[in-house]
Amino acid sequence: MQVPGSISRLPVNRPDFVADLSFAIGRGSLLSCASVFFSLAVLPSLLAAGTAQNSEEKSPAANAEYFSQKVAPLLQKHCQDCHGPDAQEGQLRLDSLQALNSGGKSGPPIVPGKADESLLMAAVRYKDEALQMPPEKKLTDEEIGILNDWIAAGATHPEGAVVFAEPAPPFDVQQAREFWSFKSLVQPVVPQDVPSEYVSGPIDAFIVSAMQKQGLKPNDVADRLTLIRRATFDLLGLPPTTEEIDAFLADSSPTAYATVIDRLLRSPHYGERWGRHWLDVVRYADSNGLDENVAHGNAWRYRDYIVDSINADKPYDQFLREQVAGDLLITEDTDELSRRTLLTATGFLSLGPKVLAEADKTKMLMDILDEQIDTTGRAFLGMTFGCARCHNHKFDPVSQADYYALVGIFKSTYTMESLVTIAKWNENPVATKAETESLKAHQEKIDLQKTQIASLVETTKASLVNGANSTEEQFPDEVKKQLADLRAEQKKLEESIPELPTAMGVKEGTPEAARINIRGSHLTLGRPVTRGVPVVLQLGQPLAIEEKQSGRLQLANWITDARNPLTPRVFVNRVWRWHFGRGLVASTDNFGHLGERPSHPELLDWITAEFVRTGWSMKSLHRMIMLSRTYQLSSDSSQQAAQSDPANIMLWRGNLHRLEAEAIRDSILAVSGLLDRSMGGSMLHVKNREFLFNHTSKDETRYDSLRRSLYLPVIRNNIYDGFSLFDCTDGAVPNGNRSTSTVASQALFLMNSDMILQASSALADELLKSHPADTSGRIQLLFRRVLGRPATQEEADAITQAADQVSAQLVSEKVPEAELVARTWSVLCQGVLASNEFIYVR
Amino acid sequence: MAILNDSRNEQPMTISEEIGPVSRRCALKNSAIGFGWLAASALMQQMQASEAGSQTLHSPFHFAPRAKRVIFMFMKGGPSQVDTFDYKPQLNKDDGKPLPFDKPRVQFAATGNLLASPWRFRQYGESGIPVSSLFPHVARHVDDICFLNSVYGTNAAHGGAALKLHTGSDTFVRPGMGAWVNYGLGTENENLPGFITICPTLAHGGVNNWGSAFLPAECQGVPLGVASQPSTNAHVKYISNPRISSGVQRTQLDLMSRLNQLHQRAGSEESILDARIKSFELAFRMQSEMPRVQDLSKETAETHEMYGLNDKVTVDFGRQCLMARRFAEAGVRFIQVTHSDTNVQWDQHSDLKVGHEKNAAEVDRPIAALIQDLKQRGLLQDTLLLWGGEFGRTPVAQGRNGRDHNPDGFTMWMAGCGVRGGMRYGATDEYGFYAVENKMHIHDVHATMLHLLGLDHLKLTYRYAGRDFRLTDVAGNVHSAVIG
Repeated sequence: MQVPGSISRLPVNRPDFVADLSFAIGRGSLLSCASVFFSLAVLPSLLAAGTAQNSEEKSPAANAEYFSQKVAPLLQKHCQDCHGPDAQEGQLRLDSLQALNSGGKSGPPIVPGKADESLLMAAVRYKDEALQMPPEKKLTDEEIGILNDWIAAGATHPEGAVVFAEPAPPFDVQQAREFWSFKSLVQPVVPQDVPSEYVSGPIDAFIVSAMQKQGLKPNDVADRLTLIRRATFDLLGLPPTTEEIDAFLADSSPTAYATVIDRLLRSPHYGERWGRHWLDVVRYADSNGLDENVAHGNAWRYRDYIVDSINADKPYDQFLREQVAGDLLITEDTDELSRRTLLTATGFLSLGPKVLAEADKTKMLMDILDEQIDTTGRAFLGMTFGCARCHNHKFDPVSQADYYALVGIFKSTYTMESLVTIAKWNENPVATKAETESLKAHQEKIDLQKTQIASLVETTKASLVNGANSTEEQFPDEVKKQLADLRAEQKKLEESIPELPTAMGVKEGTPEAARINIRGSHLTLGRPVTRGVPVVLQLGQPLAIEEKQSGRLQLANWITDARNPLTPRVFVNRVWRWHFGRGLVASTDNFGHLGERPSHPELLDWITAEFVRTGWSMKSLHRMIMLSRTYQLSSDSSQQAAQSDPANIMLWRGNLHRLEAEAIRDSILAVSGLLDRSMGGSMLHVKNREFLFNHTSKDETRYDSLRRSLYLPVIRNNIYDGFSLFDCTDGAVPNGNRSTSTVASQALFLMNSDMILQASSALADELLKSHPADTSGRIQLLFRRVLGRPATQEEADAITQAADQVSAQLVSEKVPEAELVARTWSVLCQGVLASNEFIYVR
Repeated sequence: MAILNDSRNEQPMTISEEIGPVSRRCALKNSAIGFGWLAASALMQQMQASEAGSQTLHSPFHFAPRAKRVIFMFMKGGPSQVDTFDYKPQLNKDDGKPLPFDKPRVQFAATGNLLASPWRFRQYGESGIPVSSLFPHVARHVDDICFLNSVYGTNAAHGGAALKLHTGSDTFVRPGMGAWVNYGLGTENENLPGFITICPTLAHGGVNNWGSAFLPAECQGVPLGVASQPSTNAHVKYISNPRISSGVQRTQLDLMSRLNQLHQRAGSEESILDARIKSFELAFRMQSEMPRVQDLSKETAETHEMYGLNDKVTVDFGRQCLMARRFAEAGVRFIQVTHSDTNVQWDQHSDLKVGHEKNAAEVDRPIAALIQDLKQRGLLQDTLLLWGGEFGRTPVAQGRNGRDHNPDGFTMWMAGCGVRGGMRYGATDEYGFYAVENKMHIHDVHATMLHLLGLDHLKLTYRYAGRDFRLTDVAGNVHSAVIG
């Protein structure tokens, strides 16, 4: 199946390869491809210097101008990606006259005067299935005609050298930097044209000022019960307890609300709630997913690192630096716990889904690097760098060279320990000295045990007639027993040998520049690109990466440089989104040209500048937002406002939120008294790197825990139903903007799942314990616990009526008398737990 | 229950026979409550665009559909093309000789010389298409079947290939083909999901094979059971309540509705809360509809016999196929059945003869019954049957008597809905290793399938993270030669 006489040897021994090429590439393959960024600069003096003699007698195709005007642009457009300065497939270049004449591995592509004998014509005519150029799409008849005429007329061209310019970015860098999200951050002036009654701080001034221009005015502030529910769900992902509600309602000081916010921010459950938000963005999961779903047995360390960092209000810039380059922040002075923290943080780069059984190892690695780049881009910068893997970004000023500049950094980083199927990611040892010593001590105990056994055997043998030749069977009974005990002890010790902790994460690899992969294929390599960040996003100059470094540290510093406008803008917008349900930029993960424009650009920049100025503190950011009047507005609708701004983009009202998947479960468990609030650690039931699902389809996942949802393992390809049904992320790609669907399978879950049934009956038991004989007391307690308020008369009547009905039905179904009340109330409790008021927060 | 109108009387856009605009009201009414309606968000996008005057909201069809629904029979593990439907006489002649051309650059495992098929082929039907003795029952229907002998993919491992086959991508999480179809057309029965997958395998992509990825959640497949469990256990999760009767549950739902009503009266009109109330009603109806459709006891003894439900070899897959027919009748848009057990069923790296014989025996009769049954009920004319594995197997031997994975040329087949029966489309080389003639990439299979459903694979897009995604990514060609 060799290709006979082709001008360019195909890169593999199979003719169908070319057709396959577009399938071999992954992310970034857009609906159409076009990338030409070589400019042909034919020396002007040569343009005029025709070589054709008697040009007036010949066809126009015989003129040198014909080449410059028609032929060269065509070659440039369709051929030079693979046969130009970046790559010379089949050792053929079609970007200079000299090259055209000398040809490639299969000889010269053209035979002047004989179009039909020219390999170039055979290729563009797609006559032979084995030789079709350009591979992705046949030229138009007109274009083929141009080449044909030119060769037929003698392949005339200007004499001398034709110079091709060095590749330049395919866009005007200065102009590209004018795009809103790339512009430097300047803190805008706070509007003064707003009635003071609507304003409790700068945020309100911006919001109300914009609203007024549309003829809208903000709602009143919500009532206190609504406020404490909103704030508590928002910061903790849990409902306020009745005691907390009572305390707030009774606190008449002007700082009562601020006190609540401070209390919530001090709660360790705050880190769990906001850590979960962050895990959405970094596509956290406890298993690989994709093709081979093996356990990320140590991912939980990264999860706990996130919760701890957020609870400690670690400055956001430091937080990011650690996740990109924690290992490179370790110095001689770093204590061992900090060292563990810093190594664990780089788990961010390792957590992505990987095709671990990919047979083509280079492709596997390039896919892994792509995942790292794309995730870093989306999560931290709101940029879709992955789109530039196969060609220049179609919409944003990111060239393919920019992409491979980033690839170089990650390629120089050690992420994978082995690519052999099933491939293994790297884990860094994070044992403390104490743990290492404890292992050593344990090992010594085992050794001691062995020595004791050996010496007992030896002395016993020596005491017997046969001496060294005696067998243990000949030992006296009490020695036998002694030996058995010693051996049992040894076995126990060996089984309890502590495993030294490791954490998923990266370290420095072998530094090297990556080469452009033409059309995203690692089989067609272009020129190497200096490691760095996209030109348009450079701050002053390119990154200064020393030869022996990967460049990750420089990347981390660049991401968190106070002059980098994207990082804090993207984060502030994320936090805003998680508070309000919609970002000031609605496309939280895309700040590029295809993303949305900010609804309140000045407000976004004002908060962002404030955030950076005050030390990147997330807790301060919460306070700033939550103490604004805008955050506290009631969610009541007004007909007029609803007509002109139904989506509430101007924020004239509070938004109605459905609780997120995890909050639904946590809240149900909390109000029914079942929630186990212990923090941290692993809940995975399989060992590191073992299958959650091997080929057997046997499900090794288990979700029968009462811990907070954050701690349930996130198993890609098989997320817990209670979460996936309610729109939690898939743990595979960054997602800072979960959707909210309403589908019947959610209803089935809340009608029939074990979780809801268990919670309902636990809640019923509590009600019955508190109010053994008092229906009305039970109803009030039920409402207070679940909804945070007393039941109205109408509601109480509805419950009483339903209680009678259910009870009668159960009697007719022969439910034993002793179970009747508990079963009845379990049914009622479930009705309240599944009600709209509980699942939706105003 | 006054507020719990069901929308049964609304003409759902998704089964609109006519090619005409869909009313905004109708679209809004049906969005985001059920299982299978066109995605609410996509509709909203379209409507916004239409309000801006740039686009009008059209029927879901891009052109007249031939198929209303798809039944995909997935043979997990990779059945061998040269031992089933791609007869290669030269392979038998050259048994034991080395392959006279190069093996693929990337291979799953080491392989040796050519290995003849242990089965005899015989010609069937008017078309005279040869089928091996593994599929004597299916063989009787060759005149209704279009064998796609030139299918190829890119991935040589189960996980990647299964994902590629189901979602079009082996590297990223993308919606499954059933989800795309459901997104495009929705369900015909508002009490049932639009996409059901019976006994799917949890390995090798698992949920991703039927998930909705970035498409709205309503589009995802609803799994019934798993591959490691017998199909008698194939039920929708949470479809029944283990503690309370339907009557008690009705009272409970009425109470909840009452509370929701009181809650809503205090606020204002909030359509999302309405939608949620309706979703509970739909769930309640589905609780009775689903077991009704799955109840095979209503089928005649002849039908049971035909699908092989009286034979322990065929009963498990036969039950899947019969359920598939019932779901098809009930209006489910995309139904997948999976032939797999606790092993990777068709994955005969060794003992090809034993393994393939066992596998074929389990599916041959049920598949033939499904074709025949659909035909006699007049359903075959608007149902697309699709058969295949994630790849084929090598004509060269692995070990002494096995075959390795082969994504470079294998056979799938289509039947029904005007697909050209009695035809072998495309061809592999003389040994059945590489697709060489009328090559049909997985993307092409998808494009052709969508075409049969009246959907243009270039136009069935979903905007996500700033770009329009398709089932066929940036590729895919409709092979119109397979359409009669």
